[in-house]
Amino acid sequence: MTVYESDLPGVGKKHEVDLGDGSRLVIVTHNSGKREVFRRADADSDSEKLFELSDKLARQVGTLLEGAYFQPVQTDSIETLLGENTMLEWVEVGANSPVAGKTLAESDLRQATGASVIAIERDDEVIPSPGGNATIEAGDTLVVVGSSDACRDALSTIRGD
Amino acid sequence: MAGELLELGQLFVVLALTGAIALRLGLSVIPLYVVGGVLAGPYVAGRLGLPYVADGEVVTLFAEVGIVLLLFFLGLEFSLDRLLTSRTRITRSGLFDLAVNLPIGIAIGLLLGWSVVESLLLGGIVYISSSAIITKSLIDLGWIANPEAEPVLGTLVFEDLFIAVYLAVVTSLVLGGDGLGSLAQSLAIAFGFLGVLLLAVQYGSRFFAGILDVPGQEAFVLRTLAVVVPVSGVALALGVSEAVAAFFVGMGFATSGHREKIERLLAPLRDVFGAVFFFWIGVGTDPTLLAAAAVPLVLAVALTTPAKMLSGYLGGRVYDLSKRRSLRVGVGMVPRGEFSLVIAALAANGATTVMQEVIPAFAVGYVLVMSSLGTVLMEQSGTLERLVFRDEDASESTGG
Repeated sequence: MTVYESDLPGVGKKHEVDLGDGSRLVIVTHNSGKREVFRRADADSDSEKLFELSDKLARQVGTLLEGAYFQPVQTDSIETLLGENTMLEWVEVGANSPVAGKTLAESDLRQATGASVIAIERDDEVIPSPGGNATIEAGDTLVVVGSSDACRDALSTIRGD
Repeated sequence: MAGELLELGQLFVVLALTGAIALRLGLSVIPLYVVGGVLAGPYVAGRLGLPYVADGEVVTLFAEVGIVLLLFFLGLEFSLDRLLTSRTRITRSGLFDLAVNLPIGIAIGLLLGWSVVESLLLGGIVYISSSAIITKSLIDLGWIANPEAEPVLGTLVFEDLFIAVYLAVVTSLVLGGDGLGSLAQSLAIAFGFLGVLLLAVQYGSRFFAGILDVPGQEAFVLRTLAVVVPVSGVALALGVSEAVAAFFVGMGFATSGHREKIERLLAPLRDVFGAVFFFWIGVGTDPTLLAAAAVPLVLAVALTTPAKMLSGYLGGRVYDLSKRRSLRVGVGMVPRGEFSLVIAALAANGATTVMQEVIPAFAVGYVLVMSSLGTVLMEQSGTLERLVFRDEDASESTGG
């Protein structure tokens, strides 16, 4: 995916995303936080405004688009790219997971894979920055951060494959 | 006291009404605030025997704060780094803009037999486009998401920088008095003071960050004002442009890491005092003086509209835009507004009749015409593009 970023002095920033069919999605982020989203059919056309969102709404819609609430694809993990090679992943702990019932320290995830668990989501509750004595239960969702290799290893350990 | 408060009340009623009209008609507020000031001022409401807002000390002082805050925000938004990263393109399109438009204004003044300083003031008024009106139109028309937004906003950044230097020099020329000696002295004071201020801005980011490191909005706003207003006051007391001083202080605060918070919290204040400034410009304008300014006005509108379109077009080509989009850049640069009026307010402090009466009246007429004409041209640019490029292949593909 190619993203073009440019400054709009006095207004904010503009990001253009190549949609692959020659058209571009143009997102104007105002200094006020307001987002305006346009689509430009091709280089010669004018941008057509699709919608605008307040800062708060934009973030909420953003997490929806990201798939934080629902992942339609046949995978039970969600990933976000933090940097070039750093991923943030959400993974559910199955009933047969080898780490279910263990504390984080016992699971040895960080030593074995290099990825860290930065939060445990349990029902409606979130345990941020869990310590080594935090217990992982079946049904939890672990938020894991690490390089993409580390994340892949951590995921297979958690799933037990 | 009661009379003054009542006058101030009348001022805000008129501002609120004209603001509502602008919103309803989808126009920029700036020209309407000016018209509101003319109508509610001594020359129209006063002559009709109605209650009017006088060009009194309070309104003048509020307007002065308006100028300071307008330029403070300009400095806040101005980023030297941004200018430097795309300096070749901004500089080239900015130089086209400067080289075409400033000399035309100066030439019109000289042609009318005005002095060099008077002509220079006219040049500045016709040169500087309105960031406020243009940015609003770009957003309203959705051009903000098109490639033409970049040269337009880039050229405006160049204009902002130029106008800071210009105001510093011209303030000395207008206020510095007669004789080469006193002029040299006043220029030396101006550049000495602004130089010190610029050094403070360059090396004082810790000071600016520290001063705003305070919880609570009230203290934050007060501390910001406690730097901007006194520095501008010292500048004016020394005969240096208070507007440029405020611009530099804004640049200083931009490095503090609190830029967005300042913008959020002080924008309402800028809008209030800015509105009073535009109103005050109207209050000081005698519509019958517009007749005296008619000749320069007609000349300026007829010459500088196509000139801005040409320089904008060249600017668009610098950014590798298609001819069609480059024409839009030109159209987008046509509106003039707040800074032309700031220059006119400076001129009104001058010694000659031309400076005191003709130039301010000219500026008001010119801003009213150019802000409306520019906005209409932008809205109708589709028609204009078809007229200009009817012979050419419509699907020219150098855009993007």
